[in-house]
Amino acid sequence: MSGPDALPGEMPGFPFPGRPGGEHDEPLLDMIIARRALPPDAPQEMHDLACMLAALAGPGEPGELTGEAAARAAFARSASPVGLAPAAQRPMRRHRQSRRPRRPLLSRAGLTVALACAAAGVSVLAAYANLLPGPVQRLAHVAVAAPPPPPLRAAPPPAVGSLLSRSAGRTAPARSPGPAAGMPHGPGGSPAHGQPHTSRPPAARTPAPVRSTTSASCAPGQKHPAQPGAEPSVVPGSPAWWLTPGCGGVPGAQPKRVATKLSSAPGPP
Amino acid sequence: VIGAAFGVTLARAQGGDEAAFACLFRDVQPVLLRYLRVIAPEAEDVASETWLQVVRGLPDFRGGEEAFRGWLFTIARHRAVDAGRARSRRPDLPVDGLERTDQQTAPDAAEAALEAISTRSVLALVAALPRDHAEIIMLRVVAGLDAVDVARIVGKSPGAVRVTAHRALRRLADLAERAGVTR
Repeated sequence: MSGPDALPGEMPGFPFPGRPGGEHDEPLLDMIIARRALPPDAPQEMHDLACMLAALAGPGEPGELTGEAAARAAFARSASPVGLAPAAQRPMRRHRQSRRPRRPLLSRAGLTVALACAAAGVSVLAAYANLLPGPVQRLAHVAVAAPPPPPLRAAPPPAVGSLLSRSAGRTAPARSPGPAAGMPHGPGGSPAHGQPHTSRPPAARTPAPVRSTTSASCAPGQKHPAQPGAEPSVVPGSPAWWLTPGCGGVPGAQPKRVATKLSSAPGPP
Repeated sequence: VIGAAFGVTLARAQGGDEAAFACLFRDVQPVLLRYLRVIAPEAEDVASETWLQVVRGLPDFRGGEEAFRGWLFTIARHRAVDAGRARSRRPDLPVDGLERTDQQTAPDAAEAALEAISTRSVLALVAALPRDHAEIIMLRVVAGLDAVDVARIVGKSPGAVRVTAHRALRRLADLAERAGVTR
C-alpha cells in the first residue's frame, strides 16, 4: 500500500464504507436473504445475485436424491410402528431394564435374609439348649440370656462316654468334662482302637445303656463288652462311640441317634 | 419447504409411516447435500450418516419445520466435523474440487448460458468463498434458517452472522461478476 488508504481493488472482500453499494445495499441484501422480491429499481447486480441464490435453493435434481433408498431402508429397519412411537418405546426400555437385573437381586436378597434368620434362630436355640462351646455359650449367656456354660473342672477323672454325656445334656457336669478340661477326645489324643487299656478307673465306667449304645454300631462278629469275655474297648478319657468301628466320629451327634435306635433293641442276654 | 402440512407429516413419520419420512427426506435432502458439498468433500457419506442419526432421533423430536431443519443441519455439521477429523488422520488423497469440474464444462455459448445459472456453478462459486462465509450463506439463504439458528449452529452471535452474511453476499456478487456467471 502506498498511501494512507487501500484501494478497493486491493482488498476486494473488505466492506469499505465509501465503496459503491457498501452499506447502502444492506436492505437489499436482507431482502435477498429473506427471499423476498427485490424492487425493480434495484441494481442489476442485486438481481443477478438473487437469481443465483434462487437457483441454489431450487428443487432437488435427480442425482441429489440418490440416498433416498438407503435412508428409507434405515427408516424401515428402525421404524416399526411400535418401535418409533415414543410412548411405546420408553416402557419397552423400562421393561427390559426392570426384568433382568431386579429378579436376581430380589432372590439373592431374600435368600440372604432367610439364611441369616435361619442361622440366627439355630444359634439362639442352640444357646438356650446349652449346646454351644463354652466361650460361645458364655457370650450367648451375656447377649441373649441363655443358660450359662457349665463350670469347668480341673482334670476330672476320665470317663468312658464323656462326650456322650456332654452331648446328651450338660446338666450332669460330673460326667461331661468336655474338651475344655484338657482331656483328649479325638483320634490323635486317644489310643488306637483295639489296644488294651488297663488304667481305666472303675468310677468312670460307662453306664449300661451307653455301653449298649456303643456296641450296637460295632462291626459284626465283635464281642459286646457286656458279654462275658469281651475286652473293654474304651480308653480312659475317650468316648466309647469314638473308638467303636462304624461310628462316624462326630462328637455330639451320634450318641442320641444310636441310643434311640438301641432303646428298642433287645438287651444283652 | 413443506409448510402447514409439516406437523402432520412429521407425526406420521414418527408413527412409522415411510411415505411421510420420504416426504421429509425429499424436502430437505437437496439443500442438505448442497450445504455439505460446500463444507465437506465427502458430502454424500456425511449426508447418509446424518439421516441415520435423524432416523434414530426422530421419535423424540419436538418442534416445527424450522426447528426440524435446524436440528438436521446441526447434526450434519457435527458429522462433517467428524469426517474432517477422520480425513485429517488419513493420508492425503487427491480430491477433485468443484471448481475443477466446472472449468471443464461449458463447451459452447448456449450450453454456457444454461450452465452459467445452474445450481452447480453457483455452488462452485459459493464454495470458493471463505469457509465461514460459504457456510453462513448456505444455512441462511439456502436452508432458510434464521440468524439465531445459524448463530447457534456455527457458534457465533446473531449480529456476527448478519454481518458475515452481508459480506459473503457482496463477495459472491463480485466473484460471479468476474467469472461471468451472471446474466
